[in-house]
Amino acid sequence: MRKIATALAVATLMAGPVLTAPSATAAQTANDTTTYTQPAPTPAEPKVQGLDCRGTTGNMGCGPGWFWRDGWRGWACYPC
Amino acid sequence: MNIYMKTACAFAALAAGATIGGIGSAAAESGDYSTLPVDPNLLTDSQAYSAAPFDINPDGRPGVTAVYTHREGGTRTITTTILILPDDQAATAAVAGAAAEVANPQTKPAAVGTGGTMVSGTSPDGTESVTVLTFTQGNAATTIEFDGPINDPAPADLVVEFGQKQDTAIRDWQLT
Repeated sequence: MRKIATALAVATLMAGPVLTAPSATAAQTANDTTTYTQPAPTPAEPKVQGLDCRGTTGNMGCGPGWFWRDGWRGWACYPC
Repeated sequence: MNIYMKTACAFAALAAGATIGGIGSAAAESGDYSTLPVDPNLLTDSQAYSAAPFDINPDGRPGVTAVYTHREGGTRTITTTILILPDDQAATAAVAGAAAEVANPQTKPAAVGTGGTMVSGTSPDGTESVTVLTFTQGNAATTIEFDGPINDPAPADLVVEFGQKQDTAIRDWQLT
């Protein structure tokens, strides 16, 4: 009797994880014919970054075509 | 009534005569020309130029010459000469040949004072850019010379703006 009880207990311990484990295919349906396609990547618009006349993106807020230097008006943005 | 009328007319005639004849300017009569030149730092970041001591009555002529030098290695100078002459005609004659030494000159009118003219070119040896602005205001003859690097002449808008401020200062001086 004791052997039978022990065997049942061991069997229960061994079967527990198997019976309670989530099934990887639980969400799958047998006849799923949907075709999943990945959307084609949209080509990025070309970005144009204007450069000042020293080949950089400007300094002190001077826009393209202007640059910062100590000129006739002192330190200021001057055209190239 | 006639007495009052005559008195009033007499005062009116005196006032008109004084106005037409010109009430002498205190500054002009005193010959104090040191307040005439306009500091170019008014147009800059306030520290770009330093002034040399003014030359009062340059070459014995009534007026003032002011030289302002840019801090960047002294590569730019602004020289203002204001002469106070007997009349308008003399002032006009005084500025006539002021830009004679500018090489490769390009002349165009400038909206400054009376007869404002801007002459741009180079120094005779071709090593510097030179721009000369001339104008008159009544009997005041003004010449402003901008000397700079050969590849960096004074911008025309700066020349005109500075000239207009100088013209205003002269008019104010004449009225004080």
